[in-house]
Amino acid sequence: MKKYIFKRILTSVFTLLAILLVLFVLMQLMPGSPFNDEKLNEDQVQALYAKYGLDQPIVVQFFKYVGNMLQGDLGVSYKISKNTPISQLIQTRLPISIRIGGCAVAIGALAGLLLGLVAALKHDTIIDSLATVISVIGVSVPSYVFALALSYTFGFKLGWFPMLFSQKDIFGSSILPSVSLSMFTMASIARFTRSEMLEVLGSDYMLLAESKGISGPALIFRHALRNALIPIITVLAPLIVDLMTGSLVVEKIFAIPGVGSLLVNAIQSNDYNVVISLSFIYSAMYIGIMLVVDILYGIIDPRIRLAKKGD
Amino acid sequence: MKKTKALVALVLASAMVFGLVGCGDNASAPANNNTAAASNTSAGTEATAASDLNVMLETPVESLDPQQATDGTSFEVIANYTDGLMQMDADGKAVNAICDHYELSEDGLTYTFYLRDDANWSNGTPVTAADFVFAWQRAVDPAVASEYSYMMSDIGQIKNAAEIIAGEKDKSELGATAIDEKTLQVELNVPVSYFLSLLYFPTYYPVNEEFFNSCGDTFGTSPETVLSNGAFVLDSYEPAATAFHLTKNENYYDADRVKLSGLNYQVIQDSQQALMSYQTGALDTTLVNGEQVDQVKDDPEFMAIGAGYLWYVSPNIAGVPELANQNIRMAMTMAINRDAICEDVLKDGSAPTYTAVPPQFATGPDGSDFSADQTKFSDVCAYDAAKAAEYWSTGLSELGITEITLDMIVDADDAPQKVAQVLKEQWETTLPGLTVNLVVEPKKQRVEDMQNGDFEVALTRWGPDYADPMTYLGMWITNNSNNYGFWSNAEYDAIIAECTTGALCTDAEGRWTRLYDAEKLVMDEAVIFPLYTQCNAEMLSSKVTGMQFHPVALNRVYKDAVKAE
Repeated sequence: MKKYIFKRILTSVFTLLAILLVLFVLMQLMPGSPFNDEKLNEDQVQALYAKYGLDQPIVVQFFKYVGNMLQGDLGVSYKISKNTPISQLIQTRLPISIRIGGCAVAIGALAGLLLGLVAALKHDTIIDSLATVISVIGVSVPSYVFALALSYTFGFKLGWFPMLFSQKDIFGSSILPSVSLSMFTMASIARFTRSEMLEVLGSDYMLLAESKGISGPALIFRHALRNALIPIITVLAPLIVDLMTGSLVVEKIFAIPGVGSLLVNAIQSNDYNVVISLSFIYSAMYIGIMLVVDILYGIIDPRIRLAKKGD
Repeated sequence: MKKTKALVALVLASAMVFGLVGCGDNASAPANNNTAAASNTSAGTEATAASDLNVMLETPVESLDPQQATDGTSFEVIANYTDGLMQMDADGKAVNAICDHYELSEDGLTYTFYLRDDANWSNGTPVTAADFVFAWQRAVDPAVASEYSYMMSDIGQIKNAAEIIAGEKDKSELGATAIDEKTLQVELNVPVSYFLSLLYFPTYYPVNEEFFNSCGDTFGTSPETVLSNGAFVLDSYEPAATAFHLTKNENYYDADRVKLSGLNYQVIQDSQQALMSYQTGALDTTLVNGEQVDQVKDDPEFMAIGAGYLWYVSPNIAGVPELANQNIRMAMTMAINRDAICEDVLKDGSAPTYTAVPPQFATGPDGSDFSADQTKFSDVCAYDAAKAAEYWSTGLSELGITEITLDMIVDADDAPQKVAQVLKEQWETTLPGLTVNLVVEPKKQRVEDMQNGDFEVALTRWGPDYADPMTYLGMWITNNSNNYGFWSNAEYDAIIAECTTGALCTDAEGRWTRLYDAEKLVMDEAVIFPLYTQCNAEMLSSKVTGMQFHPVALNRVYKDAVKAE
């Protein structure tokens, strides 16, 4: 097991380095540069390139960047917040994004479980069909459409929630963005829970439990749901990653000072360091979550672990 | 065994849901959220003072360093808390701010500014001439690499500025000297008729050296790392903030004039959210997207505000043989129905423009607008389908061809694409044998292609940097980097040289007349096809009065703004 984890971590590190290289090359292929504003003449552009070391060969730039990064220096922003160290930009933003993303996962997972559970218990009834319809909508409608719709209905028409993020009311103003982001998670979890529950409910040990006289909530929660939960963790991880991409647009809509809106602005202004740093952080989170999931698989299901040992 | 596993799974699942994300309180009570937030007042309203003005921004501030900032948003915010030597009055004219009075030498080359005694920074130190010298030296310092350094050199013509930028001289040799604490002497290479109006441009704002050095690398990144000498004080801000606040500066020398208690800025990048926030009263002013104009245009709070930008078509005269033919270019500019573009497509108040210098930003020595008369070039660019077709057939027969296919590059934004569609349609209908293909590109790519001459026809825009026609006319001299069509005319170059560094520098009226001659050359030869002067559609609450809007330098000024209770 230790060897397996070590191998996985090593692979992750190399993957991240490869990602960094690809990001670097992609930046070079991006049309324009942070400084090709029509107001700047050739000399000024050269001066700016020299100032930021962009006039050097790409190989030199790459190794310099990786070297700085290993020392925790992500560079400075060229455009969207001129000369501000990126670590400073991210410092206050990452917690906000994680908070909203986390709330979205929590809301989505809980609501999804509930919806899936009810659908399975009321199998083949109108409630089941309704749950299915909600799930299909949740999976197929993008989060920014929910964002705009929720904002219009609950923010503008009804005035229940703030339409824009506010530092003074972080709790209240996080509700609409979290809910819009949670829809996809909710729908996926609901569908998954429903099918898992149906399978567990039809299994022999449920019949046994029932025949032993266990009934009601104890039967459902202690015996059925608990077993159905195992596979659900495995889908939750990729869903967390999906949230990160959804947050790009949703953060922009709700004016949330998170990393998602920062990345969008950075891409639009060719702010190389910001784009690379944030994409890298996103990749690291993605790989990190996948790594955790893989290790968890091993812990939860010995067959995976044993299979590796056998290799 | 199985039970243990299931338990582990459950614990892990809950750890993922609650532990990792750290928002247990929120998640555990989703059902209570409704009631909790329902007690909140309507959408997005923050508990701000009654006469705080709530202002929407389209983009975050890029920099609060006056010598590094280049965008309108940053300029507006910096100017809220910083005064330069001059400030803009309601008409955009330069009037004294930190400057108490000034003298100009007879040869027009030396300005002596006497600073007012009661201007202080928010840390209590007085604003001195040395603060200006320090800031201006930063603006030309190659190590700082300020993007707007040309405001000091090419445009301001401050002595030695160009040499310092090029690295040939030390920044201490800049022609701006502190004679004593309150006297600043500025030497120019040539007389610059609009020099005073440059002084309200943030690149020219003072920075206190001692304070700047005490901030290290963090200058301008938080309320603690900026100093105010202006109408407001920054009291909440972080880099690229989506919301920040300024409070009235009680120690401002002109504090009686400032009626607002503060400014509450909110960056909103989604236009629907912005308009809805405005409609709920959370904002006092907001920009309106072109598509929303129909929805609000009858509202008395709707306004079209001149944004200064001239949108025009630039034909690549040197790169495309067909476009080198003047008759072809004349045909193309006369085939454009500019009224239709503004009235049917843009609908945001943008004004059809028939001059190379757009109206409403440059005021001449006699006080009149340089381009007030939009009919002076009507014989060479007003819409006339018959005349256009005539020029077209003459052009074609001169070239010995019957049809032309042109690619037009256009920004991937909404409005330019729509305008380009209409242009294509108008051209292809009026000019038989012309096919126009639209090539939509991200703006950065479009600019790069134009700078490299790698285009046939392009739809582009230019905003004025200072209140003088030269901000436009300077573009079309031979080899200027913004002369995208590579047009070259010795007579034109001579006129521009005469007006910038030559004999006409000190003769304001004579210069003005010659600038008209230069503009006429551009129009007569159809070097560009001007289309329209952009307006921004905005909503401004009827409670707000006295807010100033300008197309140059500072887009919005709040010093005289009043918000009724």
